[in-house]
Amino acid sequence: MYNSVKKHFKTLVLAVAAQGLLTSTAAFADEPKYGFGRIATQEEIAGWDIDIRPDGQGLPAGSGSVADGEGLYEAQCASCHGLFGEGEGRWPVLAGGQGTLNHERPEKTVGSYWPYASTLWDYTRRAMPFTAPQSLTADETYAITAYVLYLNEIVDEDFVLTKENFSTIKMPNEPNFFEDDRPDVKNTACMKDCKDPASIKVVSTIAGVTPLEHLEEGAAEAASENTHGKAIYDQSCAVCHDHGVAGAPKTGDADVWGDRIATGTEMLVKRAITGYVGDEGVMPPKGGNMSLSDEDVAEAVHYMIEKSQ
Amino acid sequence: MKKLSENTTDLLQEIKAEAAELPKNKRRDFMLNGLKLTAGTALATTVGQVAASQSNLPPNVPEWSKTLGRGVVSVPYGQPSSYESDVIRRTVEWLTADKIASISMTPLHEMSGIITPSGLHFERYHGGVPDINPNEHRLMINGMVDRPLLFTMDDLMRFPSESHIHFLECPANGGMEWRGAQMEALQFTHGMLSGSEWTGVKLSTLLQEAGIQPGAKWVLAEGADAAGMSRSIPIDKALDDTLVVFAQNGEMLRPEQGYPVRLFTPGWEGNTSVKWLRRLEVGDMPWEHREETSKYTDLLADGTARRHTFVQEVNSVITSPCPEKPIQGKGLLQLEGIAWSGRGKVKRVDVSLDGGVSWQTAKIKGLVLSKSLTRFSMEINWQGEPLLLQSRAIDETGYVQPTLAQLREARGTNSIYHKNSIHTWQVQTDGAVNNVQLG
Repeated sequence: MYNSVKKHFKTLVLAVAAQGLLTSTAAFADEPKYGFGRIATQEEIAGWDIDIRPDGQGLPAGSGSVADGEGLYEAQCASCHGLFGEGEGRWPVLAGGQGTLNHERPEKTVGSYWPYASTLWDYTRRAMPFTAPQSLTADETYAITAYVLYLNEIVDEDFVLTKENFSTIKMPNEPNFFEDDRPDVKNTACMKDCKDPASIKVVSTIAGVTPLEHLEEGAAEAASENTHGKAIYDQSCAVCHDHGVAGAPKTGDADVWGDRIATGTEMLVKRAITGYVGDEGVMPPKGGNMSLSDEDVAEAVHYMIEKSQ
Repeated sequence: MKKLSENTTDLLQEIKAEAAELPKNKRRDFMLNGLKLTAGTALATTVGQVAASQSNLPPNVPEWSKTLGRGVVSVPYGQPSSYESDVIRRTVEWLTADKIASISMTPLHEMSGIITPSGLHFERYHGGVPDINPNEHRLMINGMVDRPLLFTMDDLMRFPSESHIHFLECPANGGMEWRGAQMEALQFTHGMLSGSEWTGVKLSTLLQEAGIQPGAKWVLAEGADAAGMSRSIPIDKALDDTLVVFAQNGEMLRPEQGYPVRLFTPGWEGNTSVKWLRRLEVGDMPWEHREETSKYTDLLADGTARRHTFVQEVNSVITSPCPEKPIQGKGLLQLEGIAWSGRGKVKRVDVSLDGGVSWQTAKIKGLVLSKSLTRFSMEINWQGEPLLLQSRAIDETGYVQPTLAQLREARGTNSIYHKNSIHTWQVQTDGAVNNVQLG
């Protein structure tokens, strides 16, 4: 019995030793050379890994209907992208444009140009709404994606987009993309008599589009005293108020600000904080950036008033 | 900006009034010269009038020679002379909906050599510049790797690093002029271009550390900015010369350039060098995110679109003279310019004075480095004749910079990106320079 145990023990030790050797050899080949940094945990990866691929990899569980998307879109997206995806000012047009890609002035939209629906889902969660990225839930993102697809007549009005049916969505323009095959032009290094001098026609610039003010007046404007208000404004308000997007009173336009200033600073600050629906447009609460404090908003309003008197 | 003194304001009025008498093309140059004068005057210690500045010229001893100057560390981080205050980045406001997702351009007409000062490097943001605390920043590697890893900045800087001089160019550089010339300044026609020395860890080193799994073909690079800027990079480029960069021109990256860490893909369109890099994911197919489908794809006239158009093909432009730097007078003139190629070194640059009828080979000045700005020059004797100035670069692959007509023939006018055609400056008899295209 003792011998037997002893023999068994010996075999066991050898086996362990052999296994240990194997393990360490394998580990050596596999081991990182420097060993700096540490292993990222699954939880850490889950928090940051937000990307979605055309094959649907990365989509979280969830769903959203066109109907749910309509309300979300009108509240969170329409102020820049327009009620029907037509785009306000220079903000991107999201819908329409099908069949225009080979025209003189093509309109590249989600429906007319984007090759994959996954791009819309990914970008909406990653970067939208512009002033509050990564704030939408999975279901909200499904719903807004469904609604923008509906605006482009890619799904019906009763459609419900889910993780499961996502891969059934095919974008009409996908087949029209091809891989880079440049160089696509071949010039030669001709040195003399390369063309007939009489054939040269000189086409000048279109007048009036080059910003040359710096060559004419210099930048002598004194810096604003209200630097905090300006910083808040630049970050969260300028998006709409610089250009008068979605009925927003344009900063610096004394005509449109006159009546508003007359209602009193306090009222304007209150409306900016809680939101306001006027005849010309909608002011979302805090301009859609709920991370701003009430004081921040007040400073920005003061700054806008200073600039618009 | 300093507020101008009363004297200076008067002077400005005078310059403006006088300029009004001049023909339009001369007016701008006159104003520019006048402004440089007033800027100098306004900031000179007690001198308020132009006539007074004579006192600094020989035979008089200048003011600054008769008093002591500033001591050390009076400006702990040095700044350019106040007389250089017009050498700044500028934007074209109508290009984009706002300044947060926008672009500014480098004043190429004021640059020398092949390095752009970090503070003048062109800017391109998709969601503004984040204010990142490097101690709270992490770079994650996940996906098809044996070991998903998380690095602090200190971790990253323990790896072996390399420094390389490369250009960085937005693929939309020149994109405003597919249909016709419309920018009356070099800064706006070509200024989405800069050159720097970049220091960082090879991406291949970090990927080997994580252990790439078989079947891996692409790497997604993602930023920590509000746009979560993301691009898919083929694994061959990732394992070739791609760097994970933390320093630019000898110091930590500027916030505008991706502080504290960015990707750098030499020779490729600028947005693939993802700034404020927070994550690299290894996968077996491209992600086809917004900035590689909706944007940064090249629409052709027939409605099809080229995608994954990474390389910035060879390009060049004459930087002096140019609309902002008219010819100062008759006589010997140093034509100067820059050339660059995303496929390697610039082999040769030819210059034409007659709109491309005949060409001469220019002299290459200074360093010739792969995927870097390369400077060229040519001396001519200008006697007031009108010129149609062009430059044509050839890179080490033998590819010759195309004409605009060739590009339009192949692509139409709706590509937006990758317009690398031969550029034309029209020099007038008075030395003024206009941006034109040849039909």
